Amino acid sequence: MEFKDYYQILGVARSATADEIKKAYRKLARKYHPDVSKEPDAQARMVELNEAQAVLSDPEKRAAYDALGSGHQGQQDFRPPPNWDAGFEYSERAGGTGGAGEDYSDFFEQLFGRAAQGRTGRGGPRAHQARHEPQAERGDDHHAKIELDLLDAFNGAERHIDLRGARLDDTGHVVTQARTLQVKIPKGVIEGQQIRLSGQGGPGYGGGPAGDLFLEVHFHEHARYRVQGRDLTASLPLAPWEAALGAQVEVSTLTSRVQVTVPPGWKKGRKLRLKGHGIPGRGSDPAGDLYLEMELALPPADTPKARELYETMARELAFDPRAGL
Amino acid sequence: MNTPNTALSTNPTLSGELLDDAALTLEELARACRVPPGWVIERVEAGLLQGSPSPSGHWCFASASLVRARRLHNLETTFDANAEIAALTADLIEEVAQLRQRLRAAGLNG
Repeated sequence: MEFKDYYQILGVARSATADEIKKAYRKLARKYHPDVSKEPDAQARMVELNEAQAVLSDPEKRAAYDALGSGHQGQQDFRPPPNWDAGFEYSERAGGTGGAGEDYSDFFEQLFGRAAQGRTGRGGPRAHQARHEPQAERGDDHHAKIELDLLDAFNGAERHIDLRGARLDDTGHVVTQARTLQVKIPKGVIEGQQIRLSGQGGPGYGGGPAGDLFLEVHFHEHARYRVQGRDLTASLPLAPWEAALGAQVEVSTLTSRVQVTVPPGWKKGRKLRLKGHGIPGRGSDPAGDLYLEMELALPPADTPKARELYETMARELAFDPRAGL
Repeated sequence: MNTPNTALSTNPTLSGELLDDAALTLEELARACRVPPGWVIERVEAGLLQGSPSPSGHWCFASASLVRARRLHNLETTFDANAEIAALTADLIEEVAQLRQRLRAAGLNG
């Protein structure tokens, strides 16, 4: 296991005051906050920062960590000695720094265990329950993001979802558990919606029920369709004569082929709406629409005949595309 | 101290509830965000978080409220922000996300 140098992670000296630690944490948290950061490893960095803050902002845990960590550097292989924290007393503390549903590293889990998360991140009685006498308590709810194909929203689907998490086993040791869930994706799901799987969250304590697992839905980017809510947008290439004169054209949607009437007189930015051809509706929410952005596709002038037609138009049409400039 | 073990398990097909079909109750939302119900009530009453009245007269919360409540809690705890500042930041984050989605829908880089 790699030793984590929490001082290095926050960029502060080992002698840093509580105020310096708080300032360093907030500065880095702004940089790596997953809602705003464009750094590719923002999520992982935020987990590290939260861990470092959770330990260093708590005088009791900081003292224990300092005693353990003296002489260790980051990246070194590390195994804590048995009963490393004997003699350190922890108090329960409400509030703290942890975000809901956050993860902790194996290093943190091994040192402070699940109980410490209760103390730092959300307080409550679990700290003592985990170490002393278990009482029936419901497990934590877990959260994960899943990426689906757009077609899954049209037809519904069954998908394998791989998840990895840590949990305490019956003897109180940390077990990293990988699991694959096979989940039914309901038809009509849209981006940002949550699917709740009852009882698939963290295990209960002392015989309590398991928490729930919330899956936040996202779609893989589609080569042709752009998604906004239930509405889809795609481009519809038109030949100049179709755009100018109007036409009946056949268009493939995600699930079928439809005949579309293109009105005469093309204008840049004009869209056709195919009502109800977006993501299917659900409950009182009606189906979305499919918007077709009409785009001009010019035939190449790569044959004598094509050149002749273009030259005829140039000669006989009084058309100046730059008249307004 | 034990080294973490790795276990692999596969479950049978699970049918989930799509929130918005079956919205969360106040207690469920609070539990999912690891906050006391009072935390949620304060923010709904202050207009920082949206709850809808259910037929039984209690509040219920949809997907967007769960995401927002977790975001609010995260901002408040990470930056020791008060509820209004966290909500203002969440408003801006949500607006940027909407604008990015519109850019993508318009075929521009979001």
